[in-house]
Amino acid sequence: MTQPAHSSLAPGDTRPREQVVVFSIGEYSFVISASSIQEIRSTDSLGGNIVDLEGSALRKVRHIVERDSRSYYVVSGYEHFRLAPSRPASVMILRGVPVAVLVDRIEEMAEMRVLVGLPHSFRGEERLWYRGLTVLGHKVLPVADPRGFLSTEELRRLEEENPGLLQATGAMRRERQPV
Amino acid sequence: MTADNTSLVPAFVALQIGTRRIALPRARVAELIVSPLQYTFPHTTPLIMGVVMRRGRIFPVLDLGPGVSGEPSRSTRSFLIVERRIADVDEKCAIPIQGQCELVTGNMIAAEDRDGHVLGILNLNGERIEVVDLDKTIALGTANSAALISSAEASS
Repeated sequence: MTQPAHSSLAPGDTRPREQVVVFSIGEYSFVISASSIQEIRSTDSLGGNIVDLEGSALRKVRHIVERDSRSYYVVSGYEHFRLAPSRPASVMILRGVPVAVLVDRIEEMAEMRVLVGLPHSFRGEERLWYRGLTVLGHKVLPVADPRGFLSTEELRRLEEENPGLLQATGAMRRERQPV
Repeated sequence: MTADNTSLVPAFVALQIGTRRIALPRARVAELIVSPLQYTFPHTTPLIMGVVMRRGRIFPVLDLGPGVSGEPSRSTRSFLIVERRIADVDEKCAIPIQGQCELVTGNMIAAEDRDGHVLGILNLNGERIEVVDLDKTIALGTANSAALISSAEASS
């Protein structure tokens, strides 16, 4: 579905469509593929077992949350995108990666019909953060890459600093479950 | 690079960046657009102010202010679409401009330039305008922008 950065957004486009979730952090809106999300919960009702990471290798990761026998690093959305502190009210638990992302608000679900590559002029960390750009409701929005919230290197650093913690968090839950 | 004074085809585009007027070689300029909306999102690339969309195409907005005048440009609705070379590909970018653009002809004379981003000087009815190399001006702006950030961080 990826197109060159300057390809036209042609009407009557027959390419596959993608369901997306639009979320916001601070004054910015982002898009993420709905298929990459396992669950969306409010921070008040997240439940599960939460472990604080003291002196975390990454400023944006301060907790691990364990839900349904699976554990996730909780990534602060505003820290990840280097924004001013905000008030996260929702948690997006991602599928396929051990990551849950704190965001301010879920705005809507929508259908993405076009994804254009990030222009080459963008040379910074955003190349890891985004799959590209899309147009929804006449607005240009970045499409978050679910694998970009924690890179392989960042995951390795977290694992090195907290060896076996993800597995241990899951094991704690299994021990509590009645046999 | 010397412009042919007798040519009917304008060889340069004169534009206003902040308080300074500069010129770019005509060959680097694609069009002038007026876009009501500039879209911004988080990123870490110096000089990039966001993107604008025109006729279904998305252009990164690149501020020449730090390279030309040493400070960021004010927000504007007018953009000059130029072509730059980056990552071994040509890419069109939108440069925010103030005031009017002019297509001009004239003889460019050599200029002494410490930074290497000035191609020459254009004399337009007594007004001397620097003709700049786009890619070198972007590189200079990136360096100036980094220096501005370091300075701001040091003073905070």
